Amino acid sequence: MRILLFAVLAVIPPSLIGTLVWQGRKTPPTEHAPAAARPSGQEADATLRALFEAPPAGVKLKEKVALYDEKGLFDYIDGAAPIFIDRHFRKLAASEMATPEGSDLVCDVYDMATPENAQAIFDKEKSTTAKFVDGWPEAIAGPMSFVFHHTRYYAKLTAFDAKAEAALPVVARSLKEKMR
Amino acid sequence: MTDRDPPRPGDVVPESRLREGGKNASGGDGAGADGIDRRALFRVGLTAAVAAGSVALGLGLRARDGHGRGKTLPKLKDHRVDKVQGALEMAIVRGPDPAANVRRAVEAMGGMGRFVKRGERVVIKPNIGWNRLPEQAANTNPEVVAEVVKLVAAAGASKIWVTDVSVNTPEQCFARSGIEKAAKAAGAIVVRPDAPAFREVDVAGKLLRTADILFPFVEADRVINIPVVKQHGLSGATMAMKNWYGMLGGQRVKLHQNIHLSIVDLASMIKPTLTIMDATRILLANGPTGGSLADVKQMDTIAVSSDEVALDAFGAGLLGLSPTSLGFIVEGMKAGLGTPEWRNLKFEELGG
Repeated sequence: MRILLFAVLAVIPPSLIGTLVWQGRKTPPTEHAPAAARPSGQEADATLRALFEAPPAGVKLKEKVALYDEKGLFDYIDGAAPIFIDRHFRKLAASEMATPEGSDLVCDVYDMATPENAQAIFDKEKSTTAKFVDGWPEAIAGPMSFVFHHTRYYAKLTAFDAKAEAALPVVARSLKEKMR
Repeated sequence: MTDRDPPRPGDVVPESRLREGGKNASGGDGAGADGIDRRALFRVGLTAAVAAGSVALGLGLRARDGHGRGKTLPKLKDHRVDKVQGALEMAIVRGPDPAANVRRAVEAMGGMGRFVKRGERVVIKPNIGWNRLPEQAANTNPEVVAEVVKLVAAAGASKIWVTDVSVNTPEQCFARSGIEKAAKAAGAIVVRPDAPAFREVDVAGKLLRTADILFPFVEADRVINIPVVKQHGLSGATMAMKNWYGMLGGQRVKLHQNIHLSIVDLASMIKPTLTIMDATRILLANGPTGGSLADVKQMDTIAVSSDEVALDAFGAGLLGLSPTSLGFIVEGMKAGLGTPEWRNLKFEELGG
């Protein structure tokens, strides 16, 4: 009788905790990328931030660069996040910039962990009518946007007027040179 | 009885004997004359204390997640109006002027006076989620929003709110979309999603139980949804039902774990008066964020109905998608929110 009583009482706590925690939480996102291929967190974050340390040519930073991880990515791109996460996304650096004339543009650089992953998301997102940049087959210039991939990074630049749009190729090349 | 004799029923066992080397009179661990000694009681007590602690911890976790709270949370009102015999159930208008399209479509549905009465408070919910220009088609067209505000004001509304929970920085989204300026100029109060703007309500859904939502949705007499039509990476498309994500506070990642059911949960919670779907420009790819004009298609279309499932089915067609390929449309139909067979409704197509 005592053994039974102890057994019942012993089973209650783990069962209760397990059930309640399970109710409010789902399985964390699966880790997709091979661990060996992924750069270490702190070092990779520092490299990502360094892309913006000296603002790209022809623009100035309007705000501090914001970093988003897998979980936070939904708060920045909402339902587009799983497409990146499925392709081994590691971290995003998002920055709003302005030209000297005050025209705004947004620069999002995704660290995709490996060059293959960066190419994969580039291929996924490119429009069927995409216009590749002359002499730069990893870049697409669309109206009001400029998208490219280089090393493990995938960059999306968005302009909000014609002056900012004209600055996009310069900013893109400046970023590319810093991507190692 | 000697000290070493086992006790018999009715014997008095000296306390000193119970303490001997942890052994009881019968030679077992912890059992006294009545079957339980202090050590056993201690174990039972300790286990019970751990169990009680676990219950408290569990209830704490549960409460932190918004479940099982003692207080009664408000539920949202039913904002729908009674159906009118013979009235249109859906109107679709095509033309180059977005404001004129809105006027014609609402007029065809019986006029705004059918949906908003004098003195009522009305909340208008466009998509203002993104730091994007109107041309990039990630947000509702500001001309459409302004025209709806004007129609609601002309119907005699005492207060008109325009609000949304932006995904990107609200200040940027409200300004860049052109909606804040257009809505204010048309006479609306624009509510940005700052922390004090939220109230906790009972959702009572399959996935969502409670939610923090923008206060105008709690206070308003009428609710008008003005979604834009976009491709969406996870749900396939975002149109009328998905637009309700934008009245919620909190982290969005939780909502996306079962996106189709959570869309339907929200659409079941809020029963809008009218939905005015903006397909002036639609986003065909890279949604919901967009950015490149290469992904945008000019459609010059406005569709109006109080059946959100029907409107979403119509919008899916504009995106080149089969309505039944979208989980939230199928789930919405199952939940009784409407029909994807929009052509079975009493509808009219104008312009073109």
